[in-house]
Order: sequence, then C-alpha cells, then structure tokens
Amino acid sequence: MDDLRAVNRDVGTNATKISARGVQVHYGDTHAIKDVEVDIKERSVTSFIGPSGCGKSTFLRCINRMNDTIDICRVEGDIRIDGDDIYDRTIDPVQLRARVGMVFQKPNPFPKSIYDNVAYGPKIHGLARSRADMDEIVEQSLRRGAIWDEVKDRLHAPGTGLSGGQQQRLCIARAVATDPEVLLMDEPCSALDPIATSQVEELIDTLREKYTVVIVTHSMQQAARVSQKTAFFHLGSLVEYGDTDEIFANPKDSRTESYISGRIG
Amino acid sequence: MTTLAFAILLVASLAAYALNRRAATGIRNGGARLHSVSNYHGLFALLLMLVPVLVVILAWLVLQGSVVNAVVMGGLPDGTLTGLEKGQVDLILAEIQSIAGGRVFGQPEPWKLAAAERLTELRQLAALGLVLVTALLCLAIMIIARKKVSAEFRARQGVERIVSGLMIFCSVVAIFTTVGIVASLAFETYKFLRLVPLTEFLFGLNWEPQIPIRADQIAAAGAFGWIPVFVGTIVITIVAIVIAVPIGLLSAIYLFEFAPKRIRAVAKPLLEILAGVPTVVYGFFAILVVAPAIRSIGASLGIPVAPNTALAAGGVMGIMLVPFISSFADDALSAVPRAMRDGALALGATRAETVLNVLFPAAIPGIVGGVLLAVSRAIGETMIVVMAAGLMANLTLNPLESVTTVTVQIVTLLIGDTSFDNPKTLAAFALGMMLFLVTLVINIFALRIVRKCREAYD
Ligand SMILES: Nc1ncnc2c1ncn2[C@@H]1O[C@H](COP(=O)(O)OP(=O)(O)OP(=O)(O)O)[C@@H](O)[C@H]1O
Ligand SMILES: [Mg+2]
Repeated sequence: MDDLRAVNRDVGTNATKISARGVQVHYGDTHAIKDVEVDIKERSVTSFIGPSGCGKSTFLRCINRMNDTIDICRVEGDIRIDGDDIYDRTIDPVQLRARVGMVFQKPNPFPKSIYDNVAYGPKIHGLARSRADMDEIVEQSLRRGAIWDEVKDRLHAPGTGLSGGQQQRLCIARAVATDPEVLLMDEPCSALDPIATSQVEELIDTLREKYTVVIVTHSMQQAARVSQKTAFFHLGSLVEYGDTDEIFANPKDSRTESYISGRIG
Repeated sequence: MTTLAFAILLVASLAAYALNRRAATGIRNGGARLHSVSNYHGLFALLLMLVPVLVVILAWLVLQGSVVNAVVMGGLPDGTLTGLEKGQVDLILAEIQSIAGGRVFGQPEPWKLAAAERLTELRQLAALGLVLVTALLCLAIMIIARKKVSAEFRARQGVERIVSGLMIFCSVVAIFTTVGIVASLAFETYKFLRLVPLTEFLFGLNWEPQIPIRADQIAAAGAFGWIPVFVGTIVITIVAIVIAVPIGLLSAIYLFEFAPKRIRAVAKPLLEILAGVPTVVYGFFAILVVAPAIRSIGASLGIPVAPNTALAAGGVMGIMLVPFISSFADDALSAVPRAMRDGALALGATRAETVLNVLFPAAIPGIVGGVLLAVSRAIGETMIVVMAAGLMANLTLNPLESVTTVTVQIVTLLIGDTSFDNPKTLAAFALGMMLFLVTLVINIFALRIVRKCREAYD
C-alpha cells in the first residue's frame, strides 16, 4: 500500500480532496470493503473499476454516507473531505450530501417537472434568494448538464417524459444544481446509447474544472477517456491505484493486468 | 350416493391425466417430437373430463328434486288434487316429503304413505342413475381423450382454450350479478317513481315517509324529497373524511419512514385490527363514549348540541376509516421505487423532505384512490349511523345537529310489515338506487384522477 501512495504523491499538483484510511464495510455478515486506503485529488476525475460485486458502489456510497440509509450496513475507518472526518458525530449527513452530489446508475428523475427537478436541491438548501435567482440556477445547471437546448422550451413538462439519456443528463444537472464540491457517479452511462454516453463523457470532462468527480464504470475505454486517476477494486480490496495512463499501460499487479486484458470479470 | 359420483369423477379425471401423460411420454420416448409437453396432454384429459361432467352432475342435482316431485305428484290417485289451489298442493307435497324423511305427524291418509314410499324409491333411483351416468360419461371421455394423444395434437392450445373459457365464465358470472342487482334496483325504483314524481323525489326538501297503512288511519300524506337525507349523508361523510384522511396519512408516513422497526412491527398489526372491528362495536363506541363527550364539551362551551350528532357518527366513522386510508397510503409509498428516495436523499434532502416532496407526490395516485374508496365506504356505512346519528331528516349543515343518512332511511323504511307496493317501502329502493349512482360517480372520478396522475408521472 505504501508504494501506491508514493505514486499518488508524484502525480498531479492538485491538493487531496478526499482521503480514506482503513475503510471497512460490512453488510450484515458480508465483508464488502476491506481496508481501503485512497487519496482523491481535487478537480480531477477518478474512476473506480473492477469486476461486478467487488464493492465499487459500496465504497462510493461511503463518501456521501448513503450507506447510512441501509439498515444492515456498517462502515468503519476514516474518510475525510478537506481534512474533516465525515463520519464524525458533529457532521450532519444531510449537509454532507449537499456538498457531495451523486448520480445513479439508473436515471431517477423525480415525478415533477424538469424545472422542479433541478430546482429541488437549491430550494431545500435555500440557495436562491428570488425567483429570478432560481431561474438562473436552473438554466446554469441544465447548461452544465448539456441538456439545456433540448429542454428549454418545455421546462414545465414532466422530467419522467424525457428519453433515458436526457433523463440521466437531467439527473446530472440536478446534482450540479446544489453546487457540490464532489460529484459521485455510479455507472452513469450504463443505461445510455453511445451518443448520449459521449455527451455525458464530454460533460464529465468539463465538470472537472469545478468539481472533484469520482466515477464508477465497467468500461475500460471510458475510464481511460475521462479519468486522470484510476482505482482497481477486487473482492472488496483496492488492488491498485494510480495515474490512469500508468494503470492501463503497465499495471503493477497481476490481477489488474488480467482484469484490464479481460481475464477476470 | 352424490359423494360417490364426485369421487368417481375425481378418480377418473386423475386417471385420465395419468393415462394421457403416460401415453404422450411414450410417444416422445419412441422418438417422435411432441407438439405439446406431455404434462399438457395429461391436463387436457383432466379438464376435458372435469368440466363437462361436473356441469352434468350439478345440473342433475339441481333438476333431480323437481323432476322427482313432479313424478310423485303426477302419480297420486286420480282426483286427489282436483280443485285445489297451488298453496294447498304445495302443502301436500311438503307433507309427503316430511313423511319420506321419517317425520310422521298424526295419521296420514294411506295414499300419502304410498306416495312417500314412491318418493323415497325415486330418489334412490335418481341417485343410482347419477352415479351410473357419471361413470359412463367418465369412461367415454377417457376413451375420447386417450384417442386424441398424438405427436401433433395441440394439447397446450386445448388446455389454454378450456382454461380461458372457465375464466370468461367466472367474469360473466360477476358481471351478471352486478347487472342483476342494478336491474332489480331499477325495477323497484321505477315502481316508486310511478307513485311519487321524480322531481319531488330529487328536489323535495322534506323527507317524511309516513304513509297511512290502513285507509282509516289519520296520517300525513308523506313527503319523499331526498335532499335532507342526502345532505345528512354528505355532512357525515365530510366529517368522517376530515378526520380519517389526516390521521390516516400521517400515521402511514410515520410508520413508513420514521417509525423504528420495532414500533412498526407492533403498530401495523394493531392498526389492522382496527379495520377488523365490527361496525356495530364502533356504533357502541359512538353512543357510549363519543356522543356524551361531545355533549359535555358543547355544554361547557355553551353551544347547544343534539343528543345524536352527525359529529359523533362521522367522527367514529372517520376512526373506522383510518386503517383503510393508512394501509392504502403505506402500500402506495412502498411502491415508489427506492431510486427515487435515494435520489432525494443524495441531494441532501432530509427524510421528512424526501417523503413530503418526492415520495408523497409519486404515491398520490394510490393515495387518492384509497381516499375515494374510503368516501364510498363512508357513504355506504350503515350501522354506525343507525346507532349514533338519529332518524330525523333535518335539512342542516351543522354537524352538531341530528341528521339522518340514506342508508339509515333504507333500513328504517324496510323494517316493519309494510307491503312491497307501498311508496314507503319502494322509497327504500329509490334511495338505494341513488346511493348506487352516487358511489358509481365517485368511483369513476377516482379512476380518472388516478389515471391522470399516472399519466403525469410515468
Ligand atoms: N444493500 C446490500 N445488502 C447486502 N449486501 C449488499 C448490499 N449492497 C451490496 N451488497 C454486497 O456488497 C458487495 C459489493 O457490492 P457493490 O454493489 O458495492 O458491488 P459493485 O462493485 O458496485 O458491483 P457492480 O459492478 O455489479 O455494480 C456485493 O457482494 C454485494 O452482494
Ligand atoms: Mg455497482
């Protein structure tokens, strides 16, 4: 593990945004995450790859404490964002989730209008002072989500009436609207066609200017295209973590190599 | 004997199943490719036997009694029945039947004893016939079904046809029952409207259904305006819904989202017990607890309160409806996909915000449906109002006064010995018809609202 962190320090000039130490997650008796240690850089895209069931989603959900909503889930260890322990008792998970946005595998727009979908986060967090303010936020977010042009004429149509790819971009806009610092994305393109996928990928690349993005993906090409850093998980452990180019060009661990070349998975 | 017929049918159809299945398996093992799996060949034989023979047996049992009776009565010595009315003939038949059943009163005439003996004989004969016919039919069908087994025979389609025929039959029974109920209501309502004009019934503001039973009695002519009764129903329903909806919804939300597992495990069954309490018991509760409480509160505030109030009846009815609404709302909330919840929580919404802003709107179709069904139930509820609301048809909107409802009036109109051509009795059917129409309209609205919300949301 130590040599891996040595690699991190060498790469990138950005400060560390998220740092995890000794994270263990149990679902009842299942030990889903085993002693994971990782440092995620600010304003960069980090991708988590690994075979199905290896714990990528579980670890991602630790970062915004979504695992708290699962009764049988137990999280141990130390996860810090900007140096603050997010599992500290003084931290309110509700406020944390406003800072750490999340986009899910399946698009899940609310049964509300497109406008209300995006406005929901800012509304509950009181980010807009006036109606015009809110309009501005909604437009900005929809533009960030690369969906503004498609929906600007029907902002008050139901969000559930959009196509799958549009819904996913709407969900990204919704997550961006609360102005988070970190954006977690769990296989955001798995329900999308190649065109929508490339739109979302472009979007992720632009999001990097403002946000720290962590993305789970099953597509090695996608990881290679969008991320600067890649972490490979296997059976609940973080096997290898480093520069994306490095990981794909010459993986150090044999498991990483077999996964990348298609032998595990 | 009847039991024997059923047993034969059961055994024969199982045998037919086994036989055809074996035969089909044999063909397959012989190397041929079956169109249908051998199980379907068996099922086909089973259904082919079960359905028609069952119909025959049931028809036989239904017809047997009247045929036997007719034969016995026809075989009586000439002249015994001449000049007798239908009622007297029926009486003789009943006497013969009771003698055949071993209950002899006094000294019956010898021809009655002979007839009773004949009756017994005929019954035994008929039973024997039934068993015989069943056995023969089963055998015949078994042979026919067995002959049908071949590689190409489309047994699966056959089974599907028979099963779908059965399903059509069941739905037709349900539909015809409804049609029959409505038709009988409509018929009686028509008779009522020949005695009382429609406009008077629909728009009259007085409900005094006292009609002199005998010509020499002194009584008012009676007034049949349903408005006061209808308004009473509405007042009580509104009271009930105003109480039931908030309590039901809030308890559902609490149990669904906030209650710890242990509380939920106890509270949900308790709430369901509330749904199982007979309405008579709610009526007691209304009379003994709620009505006196309302009266004493009213007295201490200086408000005049009638002994029987719409508030007491409606309030208790509201309590009755709480579990109804709450379980509907709970189901609707549970049906909202988990992804929706996660989406809201991940945006930093609190649990309360998630439930109120996201889950609740998504669950609205189910909840509205539940509420409107509750309204239908409140309108149709009888026992609580009979006990707690009173019988006086006051035209008032004040829930602290005594009112009466459509169902209560139907009950009071039909109690007693008035004949079925009296407007007082017929009025009950007219009220029933109106009740049916009102609940029908509400149900149609419920469906439309539910559909509209669905369209908007998915
Ligand atoms: N809610 C849960 N309850 C119980 N066990 C769970 C739950 N969620 C995940 N697990 C278990 O935790 C382990 C890791 O699951 P996780 O969803 O994190 O995998 P993943 O890497 O995201 O897989 P995939 O690529 O298929 O999404 C699996 O063994 C899974 O069975
Ligand atoms: Mg996953």
